[in-house]
Amino acid sequence: MGGRVTAVCCTFFLALFAHGASAQQKIGDPPEASNMRLVGTNDLQARSAYQPTIHHQGDRWIAYIGHHGGTDDMPDPVNPMTGRPEPNGTSIVDVTDPAHPKYLRHIPGQEGKYESGGAQMVRVCNGKDLPKGDRNAVYMLRTFGSEAHEIWNVADPANPVLLARIGDGLKDTHKNFWECNTGIAYLVSGAPDWRTRRMTQIYDLSDPAHPVKIRDFGLPGQEPGAIGAVPTELHGPISTEPQGNRVYFGYGTNKGGFLQIVDREKLLNGPKDPTPDNLKFPEIARMPLSAMNGAHTVFPMPGMPIAEFAHDKDGKTRDIVMIVDEAIQNECGEARQMVWFADVTTEAQPMMISSYTVPEASGGFCERGGRFGSHSSNESMAPVYYKKLAFIAFFNAGVRALDIRDPYHPKEVGYFIPAITAATDKRCVTIDGKARCKVAIQTNNVETDDRGYIYAVDRANTGLHILELTGAARAIAGLP
Amino acid sequence: MTRSWPLIVAMFLALGGLSAVAGYEMAPPRAAHWREIAWPFPRDGWPAGRAFRCGSTECGTEVEVYLRPKLGFCNCDSGVADDDEVDRVADVDMISPRFVPRKAGDAVRVADMPGRIRAYDLDGHRTAIGIAVSHRCDLMAVAAQGSGDAARVQQTTLKFLEGREIRTWMAAAMEGR
Repeated sequence: MGGRVTAVCCTFFLALFAHGASAQQKIGDPPEASNMRLVGTNDLQARSAYQPTIHHQGDRWIAYIGHHGGTDDMPDPVNPMTGRPEPNGTSIVDVTDPAHPKYLRHIPGQEGKYESGGAQMVRVCNGKDLPKGDRNAVYMLRTFGSEAHEIWNVADPANPVLLARIGDGLKDTHKNFWECNTGIAYLVSGAPDWRTRRMTQIYDLSDPAHPVKIRDFGLPGQEPGAIGAVPTELHGPISTEPQGNRVYFGYGTNKGGFLQIVDREKLLNGPKDPTPDNLKFPEIARMPLSAMNGAHTVFPMPGMPIAEFAHDKDGKTRDIVMIVDEAIQNECGEARQMVWFADVTTEAQPMMISSYTVPEASGGFCERGGRFGSHSSNESMAPVYYKKLAFIAFFNAGVRALDIRDPYHPKEVGYFIPAITAATDKRCVTIDGKARCKVAIQTNNVETDDRGYIYAVDRANTGLHILELTGAARAIAGLP
Repeated sequence: MTRSWPLIVAMFLALGGLSAVAGYEMAPPRAAHWREIAWPFPRDGWPAGRAFRCGSTECGTEVEVYLRPKLGFCNCDSGVADDDEVDRVADVDMISPRFVPRKAGDAVRVADMPGRIRAYDLDGHRTAIGIAVSHRCDLMAVAAQGSGDAARVQQTTLKFLEGREIRTWMAAAMEGR
């Protein structure tokens, strides 16, 4: 009987350990995929990646990729093109042939590690699209760490030229938005005299070499001189430009989040002094999330025809905003951060209608290491995927492809979890006062191009993964 | 069977020992005159923390202290940088959304963590103290309120936070235990 008792005990503990071990990625393991296929990769010089922006530039396709600051182990990775250590900044990669991406240039960013350095955010506009731009120029707007914004001419992407710098001495920066047809830029900044790390500074960048400030914007209580409770800080806005006349602001990261719907015309042309009344003036509505969730990306999809409602007398089309939270804690050390769909057709009373998360048990993701949960979505509104498919960066669960044609019932139709490499950085949690680390993919951001390629980048230094849809997911997009 | 029992007994003893250590670390602080009370605030984005009260007879003025870790809520490099950050994160807004700083805050160290402390007037007749201290990317938020003068409430609060048991709890809580 003693043998049996021992066997039962040992089996129990072995099963416990085996469950954890089976979920973890190892170097040499293949990627995990469904209806998505790897086309090409680039290691991005093993720099932690944030926003990719894919720009059609003449007859080329160029990926501009923002980076976080370096790590404790590698604060300034060596740029093999220069042979010098450089603080993480912006990678510029020619992805015209997605199977063979060619690294063109690294522009160093602000010194500093993790969120404190680098140049996380990047947007790109053609000079010929901007009202007062140089027709031969291509402009890149990027953050410079936490302290400033910069504008570069990247007409020759291998030899960018700095044109202007905005807002030295900021407390922070983050996920900007730039309207290429008007030049209006919504810069997520921490103006030194505001009470929050992140609010909006609106600039006219129609002539990017000569930025003109329009106003500061935030929530009442965040403005200089206010007292009392300080509302949740901004994460990032997305504008529907003059034709849509709305700017959707996402506040919060993984907590206290909400969607704010703002009248663009009133925002740009209303009273600009940062008084509580003036800050309230352009606001149409706010929709709070659970206090346990934040709003990293708020992606508008106005006028979506809903097949299920096709025969209804009213409400056949709906204005939808997809809201993506950001997971922060490693190994599920917080409430689940996921994807939400809001029906904002009746703007004054927006309503959450559905949600999506990767089932944790489908991959033992809480035990794989690193973050599990959503972070961001693609933001391209190119027809190939807009209002049909959305791509969500889900950290250690890779990229998830969602069929969103019926946003009341979003459905996962594909996924790709890249393999780890020797460059993939560890992620640690503290157990009994000691760091316990695991290595896992940390797909941080995702973007698409007009051709239908999907670009996923990794926060844990694994680089860029260029993907394409296959099978049933590809058919939804109407791709051959 | 006889040979198996020592192994099983050893396993249970080891588990018991670990539980005892954990129990000690999670035990309420026994600083004189302070008693733990239920967390008095509605659920928000952070899990509830711990709340303690000391009466006017024992502490000279009635003081309540609320403290909880906020993991992943701090700038990993610069820590708690300024008074605005104390206004934002120290949970004073849970006591009342209308708090008015009495003056600029000060640097402080609590449980070996650096940060800032600031005093506020609440609704014109009560005092609040906000403390935010950090370790790497994590924050310990402390709010206190009392009816006495601000200096006394602040002194009483800091004295409470110096207690060995509460410091042990804070260290454990900052590790997610």
